[in-house]
Amino acid sequence: MRLELRDVHHVYSPGTPFEVVALRGVTLSVEPGEVLSIVGGTGSGKSTLVQHMNLLLVPASGQVLVDGEDARTLKKSELRRRVGLVFQFPEAALFAPTVQEDVAFAPHRIGLGDEEVRTRVRQSLAAVGAGHLAERSPFALSGGEKRRVAIAGVLAMGPEVLVLDEPTAGLDPATRQDLLGLVRGLREAGISVVFVTHDLDEVAEVADRVCLMEGGVARAVGTPAEVFYANLENAPATVQIVAGLKAAYPGVGEPVRFEETTAALRELLEG
Amino acid sequence: MAASRGIGQFYPVASPLHALDPRAKILATAILVVGVFLIDSMAGFLVISGAIAALVVVGHIPTRTFLRLLRPVLFIVALTVFFQVLFSREGATLFEWGFVEVHSGGLRLGFLLALRILLLVSAAGLLTATTAPVALADGIEDLLSPLKKARFPAHEVAMMMTIALRFIPTLGEEAEKIQKAQAARGANFSEGGLVHRVRALVPVLVPLTIGAFRRADELAEAMESRGYRGGEGRTRYRELRFRYRDALALIVTVMILAAGVLA
Repeated sequence: MRLELRDVHHVYSPGTPFEVVALRGVTLSVEPGEVLSIVGGTGSGKSTLVQHMNLLLVPASGQVLVDGEDARTLKKSELRRRVGLVFQFPEAALFAPTVQEDVAFAPHRIGLGDEEVRTRVRQSLAAVGAGHLAERSPFALSGGEKRRVAIAGVLAMGPEVLVLDEPTAGLDPATRQDLLGLVRGLREAGISVVFVTHDLDEVAEVADRVCLMEGGVARAVGTPAEVFYANLENAPATVQIVAGLKAAYPGVGEPVRFEETTAALRELLEG
Repeated sequence: MAASRGIGQFYPVASPLHALDPRAKILATAILVVGVFLIDSMAGFLVISGAIAALVVVGHIPTRTFLRLLRPVLFIVALTVFFQVLFSREGATLFEWGFVEVHSGGLRLGFLLALRILLLVSAAGLLTATTAPVALADGIEDLLSPLKKARFPAHEVAMMMTIALRFIPTLGEEAEKIQKAQAARGANFSEGGLVHRVRALVPVLVPLTIGAFRRADELAEAMESRGYRGGEGRTRYRELRFRYRDALALIVTVMILAAGVLA
């Protein structure tokens, strides 16, 4: 499916002294099967933005479109099934006595039969590499295991777009790599992924497109190379190194991924 | 950023009322509360209502915001009036239908009772709307400190209050976050019967409780690591100072009360 935000504005606590304008007109699309990364400083509106994608937050003005149709005309439960949203620190919402019951919550809620629910639970736990944890209590797991299980809990709905809000925050490198592998796997299966993160190196590795948020607006949207080479203060180490060499060696090009960058530098050294 | 604002909500603006010493405001509120129970005439209630309305203006609180504070108690008020009117047998009979009788005395009592509750809540709401929670706890600790002689743990009580007040919005935010996370997993909190709705809260309450205990542990460790060891010999960052204007506020309150009782 194609998800589109058109000129979305959002204000928290309007009309009170606590009023905060969080989004000032964001236009952005999530194309079918792409990995879209949303980056930007704290308070730039990233989390507010992604909560509009399944209408957990309703825009003060502007529109959210699902395949061209106004998302407000869809049934809420249907919209939330199709656009799966994993919050920051999703492990804070684990509640069931065992992992498999927790993961089964969402598929049960959308009305699937027991057999189908069991299949979904097994598949989604396997997808996040947590199949062996099914019988355990979610509260007895390590931080990384909890995170995997919480993500499986949303994956089990079979979303067409999966939104991950800082899924790798506070995780060890091995679990991070596994989650990036999950994102690549979902993309191969035709599921769009929206990936909010502070880690620009991760963006460089998995994103098809990048949206740079600043002060409640999308300051730049484009391929990682376009966005990073135009906004060096928000670029991963690879891009910063290459940008530093570019003036003297224009032939180096605009590599972004780690492998591309290594190859470009090797060529430069050997060339 | 919870949208719900209700009773006990601090309204952070600068006003003469906000600037008063919290002890003066607590005492003034206590005086008003006692007064509301002493008063028994319509004229007296008018005086007190007028005074509170004036204070809302002086406190720079928008009327609509203030009226919203009263909304949660309206149900209790309605219930009290209902029983008062139905079960009082004083004065002339106005209406009779089977065992239901409405008497003029009951109507009057019901009306006064409703006013009394609303004024009590207004006075308390005015206090919390114009006093930051921490200042409120400081004021209470100070007012209770004479009881320390009788081994009453005034500091500890005030600290518990401060922490409880401090964490109400935090827990509120946490609850909202968890509720959203479960809503994203298909939970529905606004449909179905009572039983269904209560059951729908389990996926919110379990993580919320676990989170609250974790937070309490972390807070205790953070306080200990910063050298907290109870109230003994502890100094204050914000020293309370009782000024002339605070004394004046108390005198004015007593005068309003006297006017209400005599009216």
